[in-house]
Amino acid sequence: MQQFTVYKIGPEIKIGGIDLSFTNASLFMVISASAILLLLFLGSKEKKIVPNKIQLISEIFYTFVAKMISDTAGTKAKPYFPFIFSLFMFVLFCNMIGMLPYSFTVTSHIIVTLIMALFIFIAVTIIGFIKHGFKYLSIFVPSGVPTVLLPLITIIEIISYLSRPVSLSVRLFANMMAGHTMLKVFGGFVVSLGILGGWLPLSFSVALTGLEILVAFLQAYVFAILTCIYLNDALNLHH
Amino acid sequence: MVRTLSLFLAFNAINTNVFAAEAGMPQLDPTYWVSQAFWLILIFSILYISISRFYLPKIKNNLDDRENKIKEDLENANKFKQQSETKIKEYELIIENAKKEINKIHFDSKNLLDKDIQSKKDAMEKEIEKEVAKAQIDIVELKKNSIMSIQNISKNIASNIIENISGDKLNENSIKAAVKEISEKNISKHL
Repeated sequence: MQQFTVYKIGPEIKIGGIDLSFTNASLFMVISASAILLLLFLGSKEKKIVPNKIQLISEIFYTFVAKMISDTAGTKAKPYFPFIFSLFMFVLFCNMIGMLPYSFTVTSHIIVTLIMALFIFIAVTIIGFIKHGFKYLSIFVPSGVPTVLLPLITIIEIISYLSRPVSLSVRLFANMMAGHTMLKVFGGFVVSLGILGGWLPLSFSVALTGLEILVAFLQAYVFAILTCIYLNDALNLHH
Repeated sequence: MVRTLSLFLAFNAINTNVFAAEAGMPQLDPTYWVSQAFWLILIFSILYISISRFYLPKIKNNLDDRENKIKEDLENANKFKQQSETKIKEYELIIENAKKEINKIHFDSKNLLDKDIQSKKDAMEKEIEKEVAKAQIDIVELKKNSIMSIQNISKNIASNIIENISGDKLNENSIKAAVKEISEKNISKHL
């Protein structure tokens, strides 16, 4: 589990007795963000009618996220497009850069994913109350349910609503951590089985790396699309 | 053997080191939680602001421009197509008119020529008829003349012959009458 260890880089920064030191996690956040900004900078630098490769890539990301939002949350979610785009890109790049050997996976830390999920949860709740006032509470009372079941359903709905940040954050964190741990375990098998028996876990490792790249993309997508769905609940009450 | 043993020992050492580091999940160690949260919020805010302020509008502009350009080009292409179609129709109309005109010209000139030829032919025929009539009159005259000269000649010959045979000079008038009688018999065959 060495790969998940957070350690300080540079001098210790303490503000009001709280340790805010720059760590390897911070470093990889900076790397991911810079990679995104570099891609978008190169992708929007030249204004070509027929795009070059890098412009095409950034435009594909743009249309991908735009389509995702309009499909799940409709046109009302347009003002939140930059946030969801940033979120998707950040999670995707953190996951992908975490796949490189000797790198650090920012999203494999529960605190990071929990902060993001809590922010989304609180923001969506505030948006819901701003848009609909106290009528937003009717999200806990689904229509067309028999009166006998209504109290039970409402309780379940409230629990499921409150567990949204937990499920959102734990899904991403657990997927990233489990994938990296699994790769690590198979890598350990390669070493311990030696040159004779190590080929089998090595081939597994190769296959798992492919799977992990898929998971890295998929989890970023799931994170973004769940945010869209929560946003849709807040924007378009009762579907 | 020694090699294998040393390798085994080396692996063992690595393994124990690795597993020693693996004691517990670093994720649950709260030492750097605040730091991570702080840097996450800071970096993500910077990322969000620069993306929403600078890059997304640019990319959106690019995409919109391209869409507009494609739309414009398609519209232009349609316009040009319609233009070319009307031009083709105009051209076809012109060709049709020209064909009609050609037919008309052809017909007219043919008529004109026919008339001209007819009139010329008529004139020519009249001329020919005239000439023929004239020639016929001439022929009749000539024939008459020739008959007269024949009569004269034959009278002279006859008188000469009679003189030579009989030694007598006959009355010229009687000979003339005789020749005339005979010749008129024969001439009536020719005239």
